[in-house]
Amino acid sequence: MRRLVALALAALLAGCSAPDDRPTIVVQRFFGECGAVYGNSTDVAKAETECGILTTLINRFEAENPDIRVKVNVVAWPGYPQLAAQMAAGDPPDLVTMHQSVISDYSSRGLIEPVEPLLTEAKIDPATFTPAARAGVEKQGKLYGMPWDTIGRLFHINTELMAQAGLMRDGKPVLPNSPEELLAQARQFKARTGKPYLIQAQVSAPDFTVAFLYTYLLAQDAPIFPDARHIKLDTPQARAIVTLMRQIDAEGLTTTNQDFPAATAAFTQGKGGIFPVGTWMLGPYDAEAARQGSPIKGHYAVAPFPRLWGTAAPFVDGHAWVVPAAKRSPQERAAMARFLAFLSHYNLDWSRTGQLPAFAAVLAKPEFRGLPHREDIAALSRTGKQLPGYVERQSAVQGLIGEELEAAITGTKPVDQALKDAERRVNQLYAQMM
Amino acid sequence: MSQNRLSPLVTVLLLIGAAIMLMPMLWTLLLSFKSNAALMADSGSAFMPPWTLENYAAIFQGSLTTRWLVNSLIVSTGATIGVLVLSSLAGYGFARLEFPFRRTLFVIVLLGLAVPEQAVILPRHQLFAMLGLHNSYPGLILPSLTGSFGVFFMTQYFRAIPPELDEAALLDGASRFTLFWKVLLPLTWPAQATLGVFTFLGSWNDYWWPLISATTSDYFTLTVGLASAQMNYAQTSGLGFLMAQAVFASIPILVVYIAFQKQIVSAMAGTAVR
Repeated sequence: MRRLVALALAALLAGCSAPDDRPTIVVQRFFGECGAVYGNSTDVAKAETECGILTTLINRFEAENPDIRVKVNVVAWPGYPQLAAQMAAGDPPDLVTMHQSVISDYSSRGLIEPVEPLLTEAKIDPATFTPAARAGVEKQGKLYGMPWDTIGRLFHINTELMAQAGLMRDGKPVLPNSPEELLAQARQFKARTGKPYLIQAQVSAPDFTVAFLYTYLLAQDAPIFPDARHIKLDTPQARAIVTLMRQIDAEGLTTTNQDFPAATAAFTQGKGGIFPVGTWMLGPYDAEAARQGSPIKGHYAVAPFPRLWGTAAPFVDGHAWVVPAAKRSPQERAAMARFLAFLSHYNLDWSRTGQLPAFAAVLAKPEFRGLPHREDIAALSRTGKQLPGYVERQSAVQGLIGEELEAAITGTKPVDQALKDAERRVNQLYAQMM
Repeated sequence: MSQNRLSPLVTVLLLIGAAIMLMPMLWTLLLSFKSNAALMADSGSAFMPPWTLENYAAIFQGSLTTRWLVNSLIVSTGATIGVLVLSSLAGYGFARLEFPFRRTLFVIVLLGLAVPEQAVILPRHQLFAMLGLHNSYPGLILPSLTGSFGVFFMTQYFRAIPPELDEAALLDGASRFTLFWKVLLPLTWPAQATLGVFTFLGSWNDYWWPLISATTSDYFTLTVGLASAQMNYAQTSGLGFLMAQAVFASIPILVVYIAFQKQIVSAMAGTAVR
């Protein structure tokens, strides 16, 4: 019995350790968990994928900064229900990954802090952000996060099918410059290849169609959100865009009845010419185009959305690191500043994910320009447009607009009616907001 | 015997219905044995070799998966035991004891059946925050104990037991507790099993409350943990892993269902309450 008690005491003492008085920062992120592969990795240059690169970056920060304790919370995408719960409970994390389009939901309620003081302490000059990245974190004249990248929509192009359709010139895809040209090229493509010009996700993918609408409304300087509580969609510009989308569908120039996974697979199987989807598919498709036996082997190119109306102004979003409002010690703030400085130093590595860098200097680096297809899409960082900083509830708003667009594009509802209904529903949502 | 035999037409219809219901599960299982890359290229490749266990290996290589599994077991078991104890006691009280406002209280309990969880989630979250219960096992278990269904279910079961048993036991000198513990409770085994199974399944599958109460990875349950482990666009570039997660998370449920299928079927058929 004595031996047992002694053993228990020994075990208890072994479990005790000196208190850890290092400043602790709680980093909360999405992008998944990949500890199995990258749990001990600190070689950032060798890491792949969003999860792999970020996990490795945090490991490296911990290795290089042993005087700081980092606690990482990996949350289910997109992590906002948990963040809201943590804020309500008065126990928010210190640094959080957030989509730039969501920042205003939190900044307008004082739930996240302006980060200028932290950026100053981290010696990060906001003037070094790309225009698109800065616009994503600037709300009412203040910076509410350190931008981490810019996400844009691209035309992912099957160049073999485009060549068959006679739509390649000097090794580059020929893209339209007007709605009429788009329809003409799409008809030519279908006639020569027997396949649809576009591959689209039209089922349960509201952001897919909304990005198309926003892009071409922004290109025409149409006032989508005239103020913080109203949307304007019942406009000639919006009607022209959605009518084009409906026309494409009605003439069978696109795949139909596909959700996002099905559309993604359809492109890799060479079932259509162009898949208008985000920068995040650049990496996986580039890998697929290098794989022996792939239907798109050696036949893959990307380009920003073509300029169909007005100016080139693709709708973009991005990721940022934000700071939930909370009391923190100077030591904790200093640790957070060091973390942000460290991350900014590795923005080039992050851009290997396919997203565009948030820092202009990285954009100009030969290492970035040397990455596959980056020369073709770098302009997004300059031309990309964010929604005005006062616009809130984008997730819900895009869901409502997407439902109406889906109805209009598939012919379930007349275009005029769908746009009127979308405008009414979104304005109702805003009217109900506190 | 012949009266119980199904006609060929009914048998065929049932087989078709069963096949339709089984199809998504078989599809999930099949996808879980294919590599993510193969499925991104063509999900139809699931029907052809090579198949692989790499998605299942990836689940176990996740640094916290075992912890999330243990968390789910602790939370589901704790909730099940708590619900059984409280519901049995309350059910016995409502069915057998006379006390002031008994009917009113029972009506209040019944009203609880009509209140969806979403309606109380905010005050509950704030209450738990004030009490410092978030990111703890009690924080994950306690909300399950307030469900009205168990109390209603056990009350009905106790009511169905002939009161003559009480009278006989009391005449023999049994106390109220002895009557409850030694005479009536053993008779409620079928109801206890049914309620226990449903509570365990409900707690195991719960996603919303653990999502907002357990905000640090150490206290994630399996449902929340596996969701957090998914990379963005998992449905396109990580389909095999996603399906393996679904299969893995449902294995304990399958075991519970197989072990208690008699009780579940009788509950579904409405025969658990006599």
